[in-house]
Amino acid sequence: MNRTRILFVSILAVAILIVGATLLFTDRGGGGTALTVQRPETVELRILASLPVEPWVRSAADAFNRSERTVDGVPVRVQIEAVDGLTALGRWDRNEFGALEAGQSPDSLAEAERQALDNFPVAWIPDSRYLVELANAAYKERLGRDVFLTDGEYRARPIAISLFTWGLYASRAQVLEARYGAIGWQAIHDAATAAGGWPELGGEPGWGFFKLVVPNPSRNVGGLAAMIAAAGEYYGRTDIAVEDVVNPEFQRWLKDLMGAVTDFSSSSAYTAEDFALFGYSVGDGGQLLESDLLQNMQGILTRWEDPLSLYYPEYLTWFDFPFSVWVGPETTALQKNGALEFQRFLLGDEQQSAALAYGLRPANPKIGVDANDASLFAQWADRGVLPVVPRTTAMRSPDRETLLALLRWFELNVKQ
Amino acid sequence: MNKPLPRRKNQRAAAIAVVVFLGFLGCAAVFATQWVWGVVTSFWDSAEPAGWESTSAELTVAVSPVMAPVLADLAEAFNEQGRRAADGQSLVVTVVAYDPEELVGAAAQSTPPFQAISPDSSLWLAQLEQRWAEGDESVSPEGGAAIPLAQRRIGTQLRYAVSPIVLAAWEDVALRLGWPDRPVSWQDVQRRATQDPNFKWSHASTRHASGLLAVLAEFYAGAGLTRGLTVAAATDPATLAYVQAVEGTVRFYGENEDQVVERLRQQGREFLDLFVAQERLVIDWNRQHPEQQLVALYPAEGTLWTDHPLALLELGQRPGEPGVTANQRQTFQSFADYLTSEPSQRQLLAAGYRPADLSIALDEPGSPFADTIRVDWRQPQTTLQMPPAEVVAVVSDFWYYTKRPTNVYLVVDTSGSMEGSKLRSTQNALKSFLEQIRGSRDRVGIVEFGSDLKSYTQLATLDDAARQQLNRQIDRMNADGGTALNDAVYAATTALQQENQADAINAVVVMTDGLENQSQRSLRDLRNLLAGTPELPIVVFTIGFGEDADTATLEEMARIGGGQYRRASEADLDELYRIISTYF
Repeated sequence: MNRTRILFVSILAVAILIVGATLLFTDRGGGGTALTVQRPETVELRILASLPVEPWVRSAADAFNRSERTVDGVPVRVQIEAVDGLTALGRWDRNEFGALEAGQSPDSLAEAERQALDNFPVAWIPDSRYLVELANAAYKERLGRDVFLTDGEYRARPIAISLFTWGLYASRAQVLEARYGAIGWQAIHDAATAAGGWPELGGEPGWGFFKLVVPNPSRNVGGLAAMIAAAGEYYGRTDIAVEDVVNPEFQRWLKDLMGAVTDFSSSSAYTAEDFALFGYSVGDGGQLLESDLLQNMQGILTRWEDPLSLYYPEYLTWFDFPFSVWVGPETTALQKNGALEFQRFLLGDEQQSAALAYGLRPANPKIGVDANDASLFAQWADRGVLPVVPRTTAMRSPDRETLLALLRWFELNVKQ
Repeated sequence: MNKPLPRRKNQRAAAIAVVVFLGFLGCAAVFATQWVWGVVTSFWDSAEPAGWESTSAELTVAVSPVMAPVLADLAEAFNEQGRRAADGQSLVVTVVAYDPEELVGAAAQSTPPFQAISPDSSLWLAQLEQRWAEGDESVSPEGGAAIPLAQRRIGTQLRYAVSPIVLAAWEDVALRLGWPDRPVSWQDVQRRATQDPNFKWSHASTRHASGLLAVLAEFYAGAGLTRGLTVAAATDPATLAYVQAVEGTVRFYGENEDQVVERLRQQGREFLDLFVAQERLVIDWNRQHPEQQLVALYPAEGTLWTDHPLALLELGQRPGEPGVTANQRQTFQSFADYLTSEPSQRQLLAAGYRPADLSIALDEPGSPFADTIRVDWRQPQTTLQMPPAEVVAVVSDFWYYTKRPTNVYLVVDTSGSMEGSKLRSTQNALKSFLEQIRGSRDRVGIVEFGSDLKSYTQLATLDDAARQQLNRQIDRMNADGGTALNDAVYAATTALQQENQADAINAVVVMTDGLENQSQRSLRDLRNLLAGTPELPIVVFTIGFGEDADTATLEEMARIGGGQYRRASEADLDELYRIISTYF
């Protein structure tokens, strides 16, 4: 081998060394593409749960984690984060969880960005389909597609049900029943607008005016459900549309009702807890989530010595707590399947039965509301709880334009 | 013959080798650039935002001053538990006290020095949301946000304790007002105050929930309403005249309810007949003073609740503002769980609050609500309707125009020892004070003293011209000479007596950093001067600036002037003047 050849081979070797070293550093630096997909030791599932179901879901998650389940042979662990529905919606809308932009894939991310996705919520259990609709509306603008599905394997499935129910302090309920007979939105409207307040209705002077409790729709989507139910009774039908919301006569009637709310500004996402904590001083009664009312019945009795009476409205609205799996590329197939495994666990007989102790109606039809002794439905049967509620006039879920019209009306006309 | 060929071959081979080498080098350069870029961008991506580290688990909670001591105790106990996040970071809570109005202002700014807040009432949360919305176009429905309610400053919140606002009255006063046989109303108090010149009552400024409620109740009564208060009804001349008449009877405004209680401790029963405060203050007072008891009167027209929300801020929505970290969220949740645990709830009950845990009966044995009629856990029966934020703002603003007018002299020591940064701090603090005085009928004058009176500016209503003149005088202040403290206060007091405006709050705010050494007048002269006009009470607030101030003299001066003595450093002088301004 002559000198030139030695030179040639040497140069070639140096070049190969340089390229090899560069490739090695590039790989260690973590930029560029993922070369291998490693099987994780554990599939971690971060699930956002709305407040009314969070205690039950957290308890179920503990049981699930204890049962050491696996997906494709990999252990699954569930971590529950309590977030009220509208706060979660805001975080989705601001893309605070870091969803990828259209066309982006995890493979194109830097290591730090990829790691950030490890904490991406795998599923969301909002209060209602209304919120799923609104979140999809936000992502439709950004990505051009829905991020939570309404059909197929990953479709949002209700895991429990809670109806919106009238809860009135018994002392006040007696007076209203004597005057109006059945409790409904029209009776409440008339009580709320009585110029002479409770004395005019036959109540105590010290009670002041009739005070209505309705969640603030900017903080608790229950306020939206209440307005939908009120519209149903006003129009005498189960479906409402944008033209119904913008009807000036309906708006006047609804504004009269909302004028009887003592304080929207201070009401929190926990309206039923507020109702219990401040007692009849801030609200004589209102339409609230049945599970929240049932969970607070004992507390109300202990704190105020005036129990609640429950009444079911003719036009029913409810929360169905849809278990909604994020379908984007931010989560792995293992995580999505792990989420479905947890969903099946929640819908199983044992956990559905456990939901009764939280005042939630099982989504699994095999479980009756009086299936066990811990059921709040059984405990408070004498306060007006109905095991089976006729759903002949169940309100249909309005489309997203109608929901937005109601929210905007509230923001412009009522919000304090 | 063949020799040249191999050379050409060799040359060609060398050329190819160089080209190949350069090619490899080029590829390497591309890879290297990618690597360097990756390193730089990953460093950039992981760079810590301003404010706190991205893994921080330290949560700072801004708390209203009245709740701050109790919450600080609970935070300390929480920190001692040594809870940790999954990454090993300690979950730590720090409590800082903020006046509610200041708290709202700071939280509405970008990157506030805290991540969670606990003002005395949720009404401040509404004010914060309104402020936040005003600064963010995307929040308005017309602003184009996909969802009109998504961008909020306040995220997760909870309540851990509540207390209704009551009329706190001495037992004999309560009996004369009709307690316990019939409910006592705001109108009863307002009537009594306007008809009985000896009746002394007080409420905090509208910067606190109890003060705002008291004024709101006056507006409701003045407008003849108990709900549905509008801007038009609140600004009706008849309503304003009524509020002005009632406010004219208020003996004393203060920064918060604790200050009223402190004055009661110092001056006893004669200081006030009745004041507006949280129910828990009545409980606290009665526990410490069994010989002289207060009664909580729950106004018949309705009251409000201080509900002490604990709320996590949704930071990171504006460019450059760091978001709340995952660990801080965990600290918040963990602290919230701790506050709502049974031991904490019982601690809050012992402090006189109504705990948020409804399983705790208020009348159980050992509860401060049990075995007493001076507080009633079945009350209040009804609450006043909180009007929309714009009406609350109008009520709060109009208070400045209908409240009792104020005449205040700022007596300022500019002796030689004030030279340098002390004088500069004083000048800044005086200007802050002037900014806080907003009433159209409030008047301010300045007396500057050293070995004698250096300059004297008569009381003037604070229009633009008067503000400019006072600010110019402040700018001209020069440190020299001795300390003729008594003469300066005597002069200011004499000037107020000559004004003889009995319907106004007349006050002297005096600040000095040294010892009295030049005056012709003594403290006895000042006492005699003040005692000479009982129909025209003049309140003297004294501030000892720095370590060398004559504390004994200043305390005595405040005592005979029915005011307060406070000590200040350069760091907090400005804040102290701001606090004192809330008394006027």
